[in-house]
Amino acid sequence: MRDVAIIGAAMTRFGRAEVSLVDIMCQSALPALEDANLSDRRVDAVVVANMGGARINRQTAVASALVDRLSLYPAAAETVENGPASGSSAFKVGFQAIASGMADLVLLTGGEKMRAVDNLEATDFVASLTHPEAEYIYGVTLPSLAGLFTRLYMERYGVTAEHLAMVAVKNHENALKNPFAHIQQRVTMEGILFSPDAVVNNPLVADPLRMFDCCPVSDGSASLVLASVDLAKKLGRPIVKVAGIGQATDTHAVQERKDPTDLLAVRQAAEKAFGRAKLAPKDIHVAELHDAFTILEIAESEEAGFFPKGKGAKALEKGTTSLSGKLPINPSGGLKAKGHPVGATGVAQLVELVWQLRGEAGERQVAGAKNAFACNFGGFGNNVVATVLVRED
Amino acid sequence: MEKKVTGVRCKACGKLSYPAHCVCPACGKTEFEPFAVAGEGNVATYTDVYALSLDYAERYLRLAIVELDSGIRATGHLLDDDPKIGKRVKIQIGVVRRHAGEETYGLQFVPV
Repeated sequence: MRDVAIIGAAMTRFGRAEVSLVDIMCQSALPALEDANLSDRRVDAVVVANMGGARINRQTAVASALVDRLSLYPAAAETVENGPASGSSAFKVGFQAIASGMADLVLLTGGEKMRAVDNLEATDFVASLTHPEAEYIYGVTLPSLAGLFTRLYMERYGVTAEHLAMVAVKNHENALKNPFAHIQQRVTMEGILFSPDAVVNNPLVADPLRMFDCCPVSDGSASLVLASVDLAKKLGRPIVKVAGIGQATDTHAVQERKDPTDLLAVRQAAEKAFGRAKLAPKDIHVAELHDAFTILEIAESEEAGFFPKGKGAKALEKGTTSLSGKLPINPSGGLKAKGHPVGATGVAQLVELVWQLRGEAGERQVAGAKNAFACNFGGFGNNVVATVLVRED
Repeated sequence: MEKKVTGVRCKACGKLSYPAHCVCPACGKTEFEPFAVAGEGNVATYTDVYALSLDYAERYLRLAIVELDSGIRATGHLLDDDPKIGKRVKIQIGVVRRHAGEETYGLQFVPV
């Protein structure tokens, strides 16, 4: 296998887009190609991550459409749909194409236009990934699964509503330093938890989860350009090496897991990624975790190996995961505040980490970051991709 | 519309699976017989969902995962005004979703 580098990265500001799904994708693809210094744009392949085009935007074969819009023919093109893990799954496809020698330059774009439909429809669209007979027919949605998970997690590990709110406060604070974040609003413990108005400001979504425990519905796209490390060196770009990717699946219905508070696929995906990178969780300087719900940042920080099971909330409380802490988690604002256009999310996590490793993250820069970790969480933990990136000097 | 909920019992190793698989997750064999998901159990966890999916006009929906005495877990509607983790409940079959005039039957949990 050849070593693979990321040589270009860009994303749109997440939020509400007025242009079409494919044009949202162009808005990050072009700057990513520019960032890679590819003025002739001769990529061998284009991989697109998208989950909802067929249903929400009435558009299929999105990768072919993107190649056309960017006039990149005859580049190979394919769309990867893998639920909310589509972004890093597509990244893995691009990585494999270069590692195997089938391609030298790959454009990877994740994009979603979810606000084309109302919230009910968007929620139902994402809920269609749940088990059709054992979950979906009961009105189970992703927030419902997160609510069920959170109540048991709180009961078992002493996680409190205050801990959950701390994740929201921290990630909203980080997002204020990220011009690409969807929600740029400071939130306080007082405003979302302690004040008499908190129940109005922060209504229940799936008890015990409240609105500020859940990510927003967003439009947006993110793109990366991948190359072999040898080619990257010739192009003279700063090199961020893909040190390891790990992926694991778990039962479709959450009820079937050996323990409903276990996120086994996160653990297995992280172990594989660290094993391939020949690094350990203690070597990581910055991480982007899939906090579609606040509880997930805490649970994933444990399952990925950064903290022992049940100790993630403690680390959060101590400020370990804050921007100035020992292991900053979600400096971008996370899905919580940066937004969650599902197909774009896994790619956007990696865009943030590339910026962090190159020292280009501005006010939210984690000083001296050299090794980074991302966890992209599909389904309710039934398909997880973990990635370790390393800056090469 | 079918008014019972079924899982599968592996003919080779006896493992109960709900929902069904085509291959037994315990022994890898592929012969099964159906069994009715029924009886009593304890509430493993529950939630009141206010951000409802399509087809629901209620103010909120109370969902639970129940650990049944048969050893399997099941997700369904919890019909209990005083829910608690560990509380004893039993299964009844009722309407759990209405879509375009069609009723879907499924698991409801009521206090014993």
